[in-house]
Amino acid sequence: MSAKTTHFGFRTVEEADKAGMVRGVFTGVAPKYDLMNDMMSLGIHRLWKDAMMDWLAPRPGQHLLDVAGGTGDLAFRFLSRAGRAHATVLDLTEPMLAEGRKRAASASIPAGGRLDWVAGDAMALPFRADSFDVCTIAFGIRNVTRIPDALSEACRVLRPGGRFMALEFSRVPNDLLRKVYDLYSFGVIPGMGRVIAGDSESYRYLVESIRRFPDQETFAAMIRDAGFGHVGYRNLTMGVAALHSGWKL
Amino acid sequence: MTDAGNDDRTDDRGEARTGFDPRMLEALVCPRTGGTLRYDAAAGELISDAARLAFPIRGGIPVMLVDEARALDD
Repeated sequence: MSAKTTHFGFRTVEEADKAGMVRGVFTGVAPKYDLMNDMMSLGIHRLWKDAMMDWLAPRPGQHLLDVAGGTGDLAFRFLSRAGRAHATVLDLTEPMLAEGRKRAASASIPAGGRLDWVAGDAMALPFRADSFDVCTIAFGIRNVTRIPDALSEACRVLRPGGRFMALEFSRVPNDLLRKVYDLYSFGVIPGMGRVIAGDSESYRYLVESIRRFPDQETFAAMIRDAGFGHVGYRNLTMGVAALHSGWKL
Repeated sequence: MTDAGNDDRTDDRGEARTGFDPRMLEALVCPRTGGTLRYDAAAGELISDAARLAFPIRGGIPVMLVDEARALDD
């Protein structure tokens, strides 16, 4: 077989097929996605997203691009902290965006705040170069078929001086804690997915894709290779997740 | 448009039928060519003349995926 392959959880699939498979996962879980995140992480994903905003320190007048922004969780946080600012949410999966747009109707967006939604591919961003002040991706980068392409695209659409930040599951450095975490994620999460979202396979994919994702140092090196400077990271909850930051210089 | 509450908080120059905000064209480009897009309000599409592709707008959301786009004939 000559076609290029990539990973879909622990399975090896053709590169051309991955985006459709990822879209399948998120189309299936869209209506229950936020509830499942709360259940799976025991609500901790909210603290991680708040920690991301603390480090990012949104300011008035900034324009954020949130890649794989799904139902708008980060965009809402960004706007409520920045005040008069602009957020654009991009996601591969239309039903996730539609769900977010519904939530926007009831969310409290500050006066003068602007929010828009775009279906698009992280590896071919439909935006001009130098368009955004901030580019974020939370729990999305590991679902991208070619991660270096997505990082290069993020760098392209940021204006010089712009900030990139990624929140993603990472590697727990402590061996014992990692074993406990593995038992929880492989033993408990797919079952939760079956009960709450009626879909254990999609949640099995989520758990497997987390294990496949590069560790903190490896991912930091990938961000540097994409052209970012001053790259650093912070572990969250003992490394269950990590925040990576870089600047377009 | 009952599902577009956030639009009420912006100065609403959006086209009523598609719910699309034309100000988005400041940043949006064709994902294939990187070129400028043209808004066809009647058809509810964003046209990339260079790529000969029409990207649909569904529920006010531009769908900038090449495999969702309609090929222009001539």
